[in-house]
Amino acid sequence: MSAVVELRGLRKAFRGHLGLGRTVAVDGLDLTVASGEIFGLLGPNGAGKTTTLKMMLGLLRPDGGTVRLFGLPPQDVAARARLGFLPENPYFYDYLTPVEFLDLYARLHGVPAAERKTRIAKAIERVGLAGRERTALRKFSKGMIQRLGLAQAIQHEPELVILDEPMSGLDPVGRREVRDLILGLRAAGKTVFFSSHILQDAEMLCDRVAIVFKGRLRAVGRLDDLVSHDAKWIEVGVRGAVPPGLPGETTTAPDGTVRVKVDDVGGLARVLAEVPAAGGEVVSVWPRRETLEDLFLREIGAARREERAP
Amino acid sequence: MRAVVAIALNTFREAIRDRILYLILGVALGLIAISRFVSLLTVGSEVKIVKDLGLSAISVFGLLATVFVGVSLVSKEIERRTIFTLLAQPVRRWQFVCGKYAGLLLVLAASNAVSGTALLVAVALKGASPWGLVPAIVMIFVELALLAAFAVLFSSFTNPILAAVGTTVTYVVGHLSWSFDLLEKRMPGAAGRALCRVLHAVLPNLDRLNIKAEVVHDVALPAGYLGAAIAYGVCYALVVLIIASLVFERREFV
Amino acid sequence: MRRVTTIALLVLAALGAGLARARIVHIEDARRGRKELLYLPNGKYLKAISLGHAPLMADALYLWAIQYYSDYDQADRYRFVEHVFGDVVAELDPRYTDPYWLGAIILTTEANDLEAGLRLLDEGFAKNPEEWILPYLAGWECDRAGQFDRAAAYFDRAAKAPGAPPALFRLKAGMTALGGNLREAIARWEDVLNDPRNDDAARAIATRQIRTLTVRADLRDLEAAIAAFRSTNGRPPRRLEELVPAGLLPRLPVDPDGRAYAYDPARGSVSSTAARVLGS
Repeated sequence: MSAVVELRGLRKAFRGHLGLGRTVAVDGLDLTVASGEIFGLLGPNGAGKTTTLKMMLGLLRPDGGTVRLFGLPPQDVAARARLGFLPENPYFYDYLTPVEFLDLYARLHGVPAAERKTRIAKAIERVGLAGRERTALRKFSKGMIQRLGLAQAIQHEPELVILDEPMSGLDPVGRREVRDLILGLRAAGKTVFFSSHILQDAEMLCDRVAIVFKGRLRAVGRLDDLVSHDAKWIEVGVRGAVPPGLPGETTTAPDGTVRVKVDDVGGLARVLAEVPAAGGEVVSVWPRRETLEDLFLREIGAARREERAP
Repeated sequence: MRAVVAIALNTFREAIRDRILYLILGVALGLIAISRFVSLLTVGSEVKIVKDLGLSAISVFGLLATVFVGVSLVSKEIERRTIFTLLAQPVRRWQFVCGKYAGLLLVLAASNAVSGTALLVAVALKGASPWGLVPAIVMIFVELALLAAFAVLFSSFTNPILAAVGTTVTYVVGHLSWSFDLLEKRMPGAAGRALCRVLHAVLPNLDRLNIKAEVVHDVALPAGYLGAAIAYGVCYALVVLIIASLVFERREFV
Repeated sequence: MRRVTTIALLVLAALGAGLARARIVHIEDARRGRKELLYLPNGKYLKAISLGHAPLMADALYLWAIQYYSDYDQADRYRFVEHVFGDVVAELDPRYTDPYWLGAIILTTEANDLEAGLRLLDEGFAKNPEEWILPYLAGWECDRAGQFDRAAAYFDRAAKAPGAPPALFRLKAGMTALGGNLREAIARWEDVLNDPRNDDAARAIATRQIRTLTVRADLRDLEAAIAAFRSTNGRPPRRLEELVPAGLLPRLPVDPDGRAYAYDPARGSVSSTAARVLGS
């Protein structure tokens, strides 16, 4: 199956204010998204995620490298006809109603007049905005705007849906709904590409992820491959006297509890023996597996260290 | 083509709900109404005052509407980030620019029609024949259409304030371009004269689109003048629009 | 307490502004007699500033000028009438006829400057050759001033403008007569008689005028001949017939009805008994 999205050696740098200085936003990015998968582009703020997305859509021109959507460059109208896009923190036209708004986008996609009304109604239903079809957008809350944006991105049944921070501004209920929606899209055979810095959502949704930092790819691959599901270590919470020489890293939590990270059950046994002997108290035992967040922080930490020590 | 129509209708709908437009139109209509009373102050032809004030009001407030609505056409989309979703659609960049322009023209046409009708009624109420004013109202629209193209051009690459300044400067320069003709005769050097000639030819001669004086005094225009003037306005606007499309084609959206 | 202070401050400030304004108005009023006369740049510059709205600017200036010249307090106000109406307003909108004639009337009637008024009307007519009203007014002013020849010339110009009523030719003829050139006037009245545009009423007037003027011209010629005879021979002629052989008249005129003029040899005066003659 040919790749839906293919980025090769993508590079983009911005000139600073008044032409002084140069900031590299994206530095040689390679990634591929296959049909039918949910792909997450993850990274901290300023990593170049939005810049990458804009280059994928033809809103920015790359300094180097190529972008191919369905094998076509994004400037090609045929490529854009098959995708839907939701930008980060969107506002929309103040004075339109949702129906008028979606009508415009349906027209631009060439949806014939007969089908337009039904498609729009369906999309509104799907994002949970039923009942508000005639309210002016001026009066919408942030969450409602986000939902409308989603409606616009999916109403024409695109094969590829690109979302920039789709969960931003949503309450937990909203985030759950968006997650369900994205899963629903995959179930319908669509490909979803989204960028986020909320790792929990990515963990729950993505088939494959890429972690970027300062415009460079730090890790890419299947979630299962990157993050092991076996229990990796056990975190023991200790209060009071902490004996030295414990078998594992210790960190202090804000409430004063010391957390000891032991590698295996043997280490756990030693902690359980030594702490009470020293007069301390074991308050919690928590087997942890590595989460995406751990991977993420590890990669970012490594990247920062690389920067400092050339 | 349907993309241009869709964007035009959207632009029209968005602009027509902006209250500033009604404020501008309201003041123009108010002036036309007041002109009836101002005309009582004159000794001689009263209907001339009504005609002059009316045509100038339509022209000036049309310019204000062009500037207010036109300069934020593109920048508002960028500010609102609707530009991102729009350009992610299977729409070409020139279709976007032309759609915006068409929408602006619709707004101007509607506003001109309303204020123009009000003026015709005011003149008829004064007992004079209003139909002679129609060519002037049409030419005002042509002038506004040309300025609207400039507004779209400036709006496609700069912020609303600079675009407003640019469009206003274009209006002023356009009405002073005849002075380059006079200046040419007084310039000492050949280079200076050549420059004046070039500027006079290239800058928009808005004064040639201005037939208010002729219309108010019922002076017949030379044969073919009206057609040529309309053609000039339309073609020049097209040139500006094409330049705007090219500029917009190259534009990046950070 | 804060609210009271705020209100008190507001009232004081308003009072202060009101008093200051009253003082300014008072000072301005005192200066009124020597108020600056208006200075307006030449219309060409204003035209540039108007940015395509020259006719409106002309209207505004015209209205303003009307108010200005209606203010009788101003002592020296006629100095710039010709400049305002002729250079400024006319340059902004040369086809605007009202300022030409209003300015002319102000100049002739209130400033007693006939020449300036006529200049204004000339300028207006030069720029608007179809406005016969302007030379008509000029002729009327000359008539009032007693300059009949000039009046006749103006009425001629007015009559020849397109769309002018044919009655203007009659005015021209009348002015010529008043100017004293009776034979010329008769010829002009004959033109009116022969003009196909004139109706019967006009022709009747023309006929009567021709009769009247012919009689007057004849009488004038006769009286001149009699006076010459008297100075040569020391006495008036006994009969009018004597004037012809004496070489003082080419032939003896008869009145329009063909009758001879009555002559009183004792007093040396002639008179006419012709009917339908004005002033008889």
